[in-house]
Parts: sequence; structure tokens; C-alpha cells
Amino acid sequence: MKTKSFLAFVAPSVVTMLILIALPLIGVVYLALHQTYVKTELVEVTTEVPLFGTQTRKTTRTIPQPVLDDEGRAIRIEEFVGMQNLRKAADIDGLAETLGRSRESVSAWESIVRVYREITNYEFWGALEFTLLYTFLTTPAVLGLGLALALAVNNAAKRLRGTLVFATLLPMIVTPVVSSLAIYWMFLDNGVVSTLIEMLGFGKFHFLANQITARTLIILYGVWFATPFAFIILYAGLQTLPRDPLESAMIDGANEWQRLRYVIVPHLTPLLTVIALIHIMDAYRVFEPILVFGTTVYANSVQFLTFHVLGFEDNVHKAAAYSILTIIGVVILLIPVLRQSFRDRKSS
Amino acid sequence: MKGIRKLIAAGALVVSPAMASAECAIDSDGEVNVITNFFETLELLASVMEECESESLKVDVKMTTDHKAERERAFEAAVSPYDASAVANSSITVLQAKGQLMPLNDLVEKYRDEYNIEDQMLIKFGDDVAAIAFMANAQHFFYRKDLFEKHGLEVPATYDDLLAAAAVLENDDSIDYPFSAAFGGAGNWELGNEFVNILLAQGGTMFDPETSEPTFHGPEGLQTLELMGQLMEHMSPNALSLDFGAVKQQLQQGEVAMAILWGDQAPTMDKEGESTVIGKVGFAPAPAMVEGGPPATTFWWDGYVIPKNLDGDPETAFQVIMHATRPEVVDQNNDVTLWIRSNYQPTDYTAAIIQSVMANAPPYPMNPQSEMAHGAIGNNIGDFLAGKESAEQSLADAADAYLSAAADAGLISQ
Repeated sequence: MKTKSFLAFVAPSVVTMLILIALPLIGVVYLALHQTYVKTELVEVTTEVPLFGTQTRKTTRTIPQPVLDDEGRAIRIEEFVGMQNLRKAADIDGLAETLGRSRESVSAWESIVRVYREITNYEFWGALEFTLLYTFLTTPAVLGLGLALALAVNNAAKRLRGTLVFATLLPMIVTPVVSSLAIYWMFLDNGVVSTLIEMLGFGKFHFLANQITARTLIILYGVWFATPFAFIILYAGLQTLPRDPLESAMIDGANEWQRLRYVIVPHLTPLLTVIALIHIMDAYRVFEPILVFGTTVYANSVQFLTFHVLGFEDNVHKAAAYSILTIIGVVILLIPVLRQSFRDRKSS
Repeated sequence: MKGIRKLIAAGALVVSPAMASAECAIDSDGEVNVITNFFETLELLASVMEECESESLKVDVKMTTDHKAERERAFEAAVSPYDASAVANSSITVLQAKGQLMPLNDLVEKYRDEYNIEDQMLIKFGDDVAAIAFMANAQHFFYRKDLFEKHGLEVPATYDDLLAAAAVLENDDSIDYPFSAAFGGAGNWELGNEFVNILLAQGGTMFDPETSEPTFHGPEGLQTLELMGQLMEHMSPNALSLDFGAVKQQLQQGEVAMAILWGDQAPTMDKEGESTVIGKVGFAPAPAMVEGGPPATTFWWDGYVIPKNLDGDPETAFQVIMHATRPEVVDQNNDVTLWIRSNYQPTDYTAAIIQSVMANAPPYPMNPQSEMAHGAIGNNIGDFLAGKESAEQSLADAADAYLSAAADAGLISQ
């Protein structure tokens, strides 16, 4: 193909990628490196607010008021702050202080425990702790359960398969916020599950009252929600499984486990890699259950922090810094998976 | 998140306002786009605003619990896609301090007679009218009258009384827990609010107005946390996951005997098909922190603002707002909320809010620092209440978070 026609074919996708992927990324980096605010000065102002009936209450207090320019507009300061937002977002200063603190009076183990506790007390690192826990626990569970379900449905009677596939896909069809809410309501005081446990005579159980159960609940939700995706891809993969090697394995006397281990799984490996890749990206961005369960004390996530800083702190620059930290985290987690798949491709 | 839950319930939740007979007769063209929070009164006002739609005028009200983030981006842009927005005590402060709100003085004078605009509806910063308020609200005490009678309890005047009543109610098998309050919810805003209510009632402050340095981590702050810890002992162990919607349900389902809840939720205690304790719930101002002191609550208003950078015509936007908040709407929907207009007739459901004000409950402080301190507090004190760290540590973390946010907003130097 001539270079010219090659470029003509590729140009639309290159342009689209630049506009939709590169530009927003550059924008986020730009925002993270800057800080803007309206210049204010403290002024004594009397505010008047309604009480009830026709009464009002006047209060005089010192409040920040905008400094105006000659045309009566508020002066906006926009400054380049370099790494300041990222440093604040990841609490680098606090981290350095924690690590630098002398702990000679306690045992080595005790000081490790204390350092860990102090580090996870910083918002970002606490959120990162649960984000990683969620990612590392849900990924193998999703792959394993997805494979088990795919094998089970594949071995089921033909006329049942359609129904089974549909039923298994349901968790993926429901919007994450809605399904998070459904789960949250089931496990609240007097929710279906809590009531059932009480009726069975196990007493009152409070799922959202401590770190372990709250985290377990969110992780189980994550597995329940993401498994259908792994299932449907692996189920499709099983349909392409050639019969010959399976039959030869059976003639050679391979039992079911050996057939799974040496014939089926190797055939599905590229698919398992893709699922792991996509699930790790998704898991690292866990958001809905954190939002809905309202227990950031017990479980927080990096993605939720981004939302919180934007919505509640009204700080688009620090939120951008958190976005960058999210991207960095995802990239680091994906490196081993990508290397593996690169090697596989090379060897085949 | 309460808003999302409401959104889901929205299919079932049918607001049927008794529509005002007077048609909206705004003679202009173009568009009016409004962004607001999502609760019943705002839903009603949105539907009245949309009466003003005509062939030439388009009125669109976007209701979302993410109104804050969206509004702040919009009012900061070169041109705001929203011509008006609903705000309250705390959310107006940040917008006002950035100089983004259009003073409404001229419009108020021009339309004062046509819409019978009353002075108490005007939210003023100095001489500028920054917002038009339509309703007031405060958190107050909800209690089960039947259980109080059964145990010979009186409405608690102070939090010490409340703790004593809770100790008695612990032995009542008909309820699960004596007390409830919104210690959870997305963003931990409500948890911060419970702290602020108690802090202010014992004479504490959130920050020094002269320097903007935090003060909420002083002795009053520690006492506040200590009390919140004691309250937790009488609440559901899931308390840190319960927002005000969940507290409301606990009351309605007869799971708790006492709660601190928003006043505008009072009518829902007697709502057929929702409540199992119809007629049994009484309302009173929140307990005080000191004998004879103000109730531990703050007084809120809700109103509409118009940004300086709006896309459409401010006059048209103003008329749409005033149409929705005119006296007839209050007359025909008297029981929906505590309206600020003078033709509003107080009901049993709003008496406790009015009593709170008469007992000197302070308005929620209208400084931008308050909102930042509030967010930082809510986000950090949960660690203490969950037993993960000391009260001192969680307040110190909150103070650090506040300082960082205030520095980014240019309120204090780094």
C-alpha cells in the first residue's frame, strides 16, 4: 500500500484518538499543574436572613469578599503550582513525616504496624489500600467463577442453555448504582438478609458496622457484578474449542481435571488475559458501591476520592491530580498482564 | 446517596401540587434553564415553573443531587448554561465570595407589586439582594409519644436528658434502638452537620473569622465528639451508613424511639402506606447543650439565585422564579413545607422548627469557610466514631484537611 493511501486510511482514527483520548488527558494534566481561585479580602458584611412570619435576623460578620477590578469583575488568580496538587493529593509531605518519625522505643513489628496505620490514615493511601484489596481479591474470583459458570452452562442440556445464559448475565444488565442500592438495602437493619438471619435464630447481625463485613460485602458485590462478563466471554471461547485434542486427551486416559488443566485452559488463556486486563481496569475504578454504602470510614476508593474532591471540596485541580494518580495506578497494575500477553504472542 | 434513592423512587413518587389557577403570563421569549437539588418542595416549584412554558419560551428545570459540582463549574465558566439555581445557607457562601451572583435589587423593585415580594424573602449581603428565599428548615427532635408516656419520660431539654431517656428506652423490647441521627450518607456531609449543630450549641466555633484558621478542634470540638460517641452507643451499629432517609424509615418502621431529623420530614411520619406509627410521633426543638441554652441545631433557608454570567435574560429568569414562589402557590400547598411568605399558615408539623428559632437556634453560618470546615469535619470524624483513632487525631486530621482546602481556595496563605 502506498504511504499516501495508508495515511488516508489511518488518519480518521488517529484524529479521533487525538481528540477523544489525548486532548482530555492533556487537559487533565494541565488542570493538575494549576490552581485557580478568586482573590478575596476579609470585609465586615451584614447578612440578613428570614426566620419565619415576617421576621428576619441580621448578623454582622467578617467574611471573604471578592476583590474587584476596575470594571467591577472579580479578580481570578490562575497560577502554575507544579506538583503541589499531586503532592497534596497523595499527601507526600505527611508520608515523608510518617516515614521519618523515630520509633526507637517500640519493637520492629509494632513500628511497622504503626507506620502502616498512620499511612492508611492519609486519605489517598487509605483509599488506595481498599482499592488494591478490591482489585486483587475480585480478579481471581471473577476469573475462576466465570470459568466455572461457563463450563457448567456448556455442559447443561442444550434447551436450557439460552435461559441459563440470560439468567447469568442479569447482574451485568442492571445499572451498577441500582444493583449497589439493592444490595445495600438487603443488608441494612431490617433488610431482607438481616431479617432472615434474625428469623433463623442467629440474632441481629450488622453488616455495615465494622470494617471486615462492610469490605466483604463490597467485594462480594464486585464479584457478583463482574462475573457475568467473564462468563459470557469464556462461554463463547468454549464454543470454539476443537474436539480433536479433547478426544485425544480422553483416549490417552486424561481425567476431567487433566483435560481442563492441559487442554481447555490453555485454549482459553488469551481470553483469560483480556478479561483480567479489563477487570483490573474496572476494579481499580470501583465507585458505585462506595458511594451507595456510605461507609467511606471502612472502605474508600481512589475514584470516589476524585468525585468527592470535585463535588464537596469544589477543587477541580486537586480532582485532576487524583485522576492522574488513578491513571498511574491502572498502568502499573496492567504492566505485568501486558508483558505476559506480549510474551505469549511472541512465543506463538 | 439519598438523591439517587429518591430518583429511583421518583417513578412512584407522584407530586400532585394543587395548581394555581392564575396562568403564568410571562411575555418574553428564549429559554430559562434552572438547576436545583432534588427534594419534594423543589419538585413542586419546578412543576410550577414549567407552567411558564409557551411557544416562544422554554423553561427547563434540572434536578440533581450533584447540583453543587455542576453549578460551581457553570457559574465559573464564561457563560453559564443555567440562568438560575436553588441554593441554601451554606452553598450560597462560596458563590457569593467569588462574586458570581447577580444583585437582584433592581428586579425586586420592578416586580415587587406584581408578585407581592416580601422583605423577609430577600437574602441580603450588605445592601445586595443575593437570593430570593422560599422555605425554611431546621433539624429537630422527633420522638414516640406513646413510648415516652409508657416510661414516664419527658421531652429532653438537654442532651444529658436525652442520654438518660435513651438509657431507659434501651429496655423497651418494642424498639430496636432508642436513638437515631444521620451519621452516614455519601460525602459524609450529614455527619459533619450533626457535629456542627452540637458544636455551635455549646458556644464552639468552626474557625477564626479574622484569620480563617480552624477552631473546631478545640475543647468544644472534643466534647462534641465525646457526646456523639455516647449517642452512638444508643444507635444502630450500622449508624455510620445511615443517611437521613434511613433515619426517617427507622422512625416510620417503629425501630427507634427518638431521632434528630430535618423538620420538613415531619409530615412523612403520618403518611399512610409509608409509616407504621401514624399519630404516635411528636416533634420538639433539638435538645440544648447547656441548661436554657439554644437548641443544638441550625436554621436553614432555601432560595434561588441568578448568576452574573447567565446565558439568557435575567428578567425572564427572575419572573419564572417569582411565578413559582408567588403567594397562591403557598396558599395551595401550605402543608408541603415551612414557607417564608407571610400568608403561610404554620401547622403542627412545622411548629418545632419555629420553636427552635424562637429558642435562638442560630442560622447556619454564612461564610465560605464554614462549608469547607463542615466537609473536612464530616470526612474525618467517622474514624473516631468507628473506633479507629482518637478524637484528638480525627479532629487534627479534619483541621489539616480544612487548611489544605482553604489554602487552595485562596482564603489563607499556604
